[in-house]
Amino acid sequence: MTIFWFSLKRSFSNTTNLIFLTLFPVGAIFLPMGEVWPFLPYGYQFFGIIVLFVGIRLATIILEDRAKGVVKRLAVAPVTHFQYLTQNLLAFSIILILQSIIVIYGGVLYGHELYHPEWLLVLFISFSFTSLAVALAWISLYRSKETSFLVYMSVIFLIVFLGGLLMPIEAFPDILQRIAVIFPTYWLSEGIVWIVFGNDISEFLLINGVLWLYTIIFLVIGSVRRIN
Amino acid sequence: MMIASMQGVVKRYGSNIVLDYVDLAIDEGEIIGLLGPNGAGKTTLIQTLTGMIPFEKGQVTLFGDVKAPFSNKNKEKIGLVTQEITIFEELTAKENLQFFAGVYGLKGEEKKNSVQEALEFVGLSDRANKMPKKFSGGMKRRLNIACALTHRPRFIIMDEPTVGIDPQSRNYILEAVKKLREEGTTILYTTHYMEEVQAIASRVVIMDQGQIIKEGTVDELIKTIQHEEKVKIDVTDAGQIPLNKLESVTGVKQVNVDGNQIMIISEANSGNLDRILSLIKAHAGVLGIQADKPNLEDVFLTLTGKQLRDKVGEE
Amino acid sequence: MRVISTMKFTFFRMVREYITLLLLLVVPIVLLTVFSFVLEGVTTETGEPLINEQNVIFVLVFQMFGGALAMAYIHTDFFTERKQRIYALPFNQTLYAFSIMVCGIVYSVLLGIVLMTFSEFVFGADWGNWLWAIYIIFLLALLSNIVCLIFTFSVNNFKIAERLSEVYGVGFVILAGLIFPVPGNDFFVFVNTYVNPITLAADAIYGMNQSHAGEAWFRSNILLIASGVLFIVMLILGKRKIR
Repeated sequence: MTIFWFSLKRSFSNTTNLIFLTLFPVGAIFLPMGEVWPFLPYGYQFFGIIVLFVGIRLATIILEDRAKGVVKRLAVAPVTHFQYLTQNLLAFSIILILQSIIVIYGGVLYGHELYHPEWLLVLFISFSFTSLAVALAWISLYRSKETSFLVYMSVIFLIVFLGGLLMPIEAFPDILQRIAVIFPTYWLSEGIVWIVFGNDISEFLLINGVLWLYTIIFLVIGSVRRIN
Repeated sequence: MMIASMQGVVKRYGSNIVLDYVDLAIDEGEIIGLLGPNGAGKTTLIQTLTGMIPFEKGQVTLFGDVKAPFSNKNKEKIGLVTQEITIFEELTAKENLQFFAGVYGLKGEEKKNSVQEALEFVGLSDRANKMPKKFSGGMKRRLNIACALTHRPRFIIMDEPTVGIDPQSRNYILEAVKKLREEGTTILYTTHYMEEVQAIASRVVIMDQGQIIKEGTVDELIKTIQHEEKVKIDVTDAGQIPLNKLESVTGVKQVNVDGNQIMIISEANSGNLDRILSLIKAHAGVLGIQADKPNLEDVFLTLTGKQLRDKVGEE
Repeated sequence: MRVISTMKFTFFRMVREYITLLLLLVVPIVLLTVFSFVLEGVTTETGEPLINEQNVIFVLVFQMFGGALAMAYIHTDFFTERKQRIYALPFNQTLYAFSIMVCGIVYSVLLGIVLMTFSEFVFGADWGNWLWAIYIIFLLALLSNIVCLIFTFSVNNFKIAERLSEVYGVGFVILAGLIFPVPGNDFFVFVNTYVNPITLAADAIYGMNQSHAGEAWFRSNILLIASGVLFIVMLILGKRKIR
């Protein structure tokens, strides 16, 4: 589990990562409640954005290894690519799960009305895995850490807006509402709506199921490209 | 005519003396090979000579100018080839040269011609409109050199211009340096590669720990340590040979054994090869003999020692 | 003259930074397009199409990040290995640094004009007095470039300078209440009335369009004076770093 421990260490060694991993999630707890929308405090509506950024920051550790040639060293070491990938992803997943726990239970302690914190945790964990998988697939397209991050930032901007995290999806024209379903952020947004208003558990299972489907698809894309 | 000189130059970084009363004179038309281990102060010397960094004591003269050696008028006559590749990756090869030609005051046809000549000189004419991002390491190094040549300087300073490139590119660069010498350009050339200095330098300066410890032509420097001769003898079985007897032969200073090869270092002109061979032949068969004459590397290692010098951020 | 001869090449370098074009041109165009669809027909309290306000805000927000290129080039040319070559050149290095800043401002303004043109001719957004809008965009670009260079000169680690410039941009976007509503207390009202470059610039443009020229000039003069004061700070810090 050497790669796993070092992955954890490396995730926190960079100042920018430290800020993304600690300050921003904790800061999200203290953001105010909207008047009409969103239905949860702003910090929880926007936590998905933080998770997307954290996902790419963590995944670029793997990209850095590729760019610096460290993977070449690992290729001749008694470590399979599968072990390398899984140990890294395990480390990243644990970080994201911990973040989600801190944000949600921090919010409960702070006094926010989160309706069903345990279901919200499940939703955020599902989205965290989706975010990691998307980031993994994304970095497989790039050699440069900076370029991949900057372009991904533009993409995050767009999918966050078009998925209905920044504005209620109902305000969008029909065509944009239909397009929105292809974005994982739409499903996160729908999940938040279910947390507040929903009661049929099958709807919530569907939402999480879609997020996990995205996770599997992007994980496969990201891993297969690397193997090739 | 003296192109450049340093007299008693001292440069400190905190309590660390990087240049320790350095005296150096460079005459027009010379190629000075500046050698030194990592951390010797070579790049600091270059930066001081070009006015890039201030110094605490001493004097630098460029083109006879003592009062304002680093004026733009003097800088126009100098070309600097940096150790790192310092070209603009976002501009094509031609645009890089046009940039520098413009800064050196070239205009119109003169600029166009000098850019073309510089590209031809370094063998990049067919890649004039390509981005350096797509170049190999050797091609980038050649462009790096071309940027220092567009304005036809009188004095070129080349700081390890062949680091990390393939032998063909390296050879191309050395031939280019020789061509520049034939055109009368003065060159200060720093390198770790002894064979480069031996091939091109008219004078060698050896630096260590901020001081110039020796200078002269290659032959003059070799003569200073030509008090030793080295012979390598391959034998059938080195274990059979009485090494103590070998060491006691007149003139022998040191005997080393490496497998079945015996290396004997003797005083110069001791004429003891006959006795050594007789002694060896009495105990084992001789398979081959190699007599090494000292070279510049031997001079360098003798003067600066063989310890690794891992000084981070020499300059 | 020699420094002026380099400006063409500095401009080439900027235009060929495709990532910057993506972030400062393509992304705003896409967002403007999406917002224009979403806000079609929606009006403000005064009956003005909301799309006008949104377009102005978008263009101004992206000007806040316009200093990134100039600061990157100043860093590469003066604080990395390339500085050896730059300092060996026979020209005034301080003027060269200025020329990079000027190119950064001009480039940022040009991108702003492209976005203005796009929003007006494609989505019918009304910018009112174009010359005035361009002047305000220029002031914002000038301020952002100066602030970014102050960060570059005042910290040794360039990554920290980059993060600070992002905090400057994103920070004022958040303070302007563009991501989520900010409290309406005196502090935030004061900041958004007299300090926040985005709100100052936006109010200057709206003010002129609503014939409140006095207020418009007042807001723009705050930007101008802030730029002037910070320019002096930048000069002092820059002199220590660039000979």
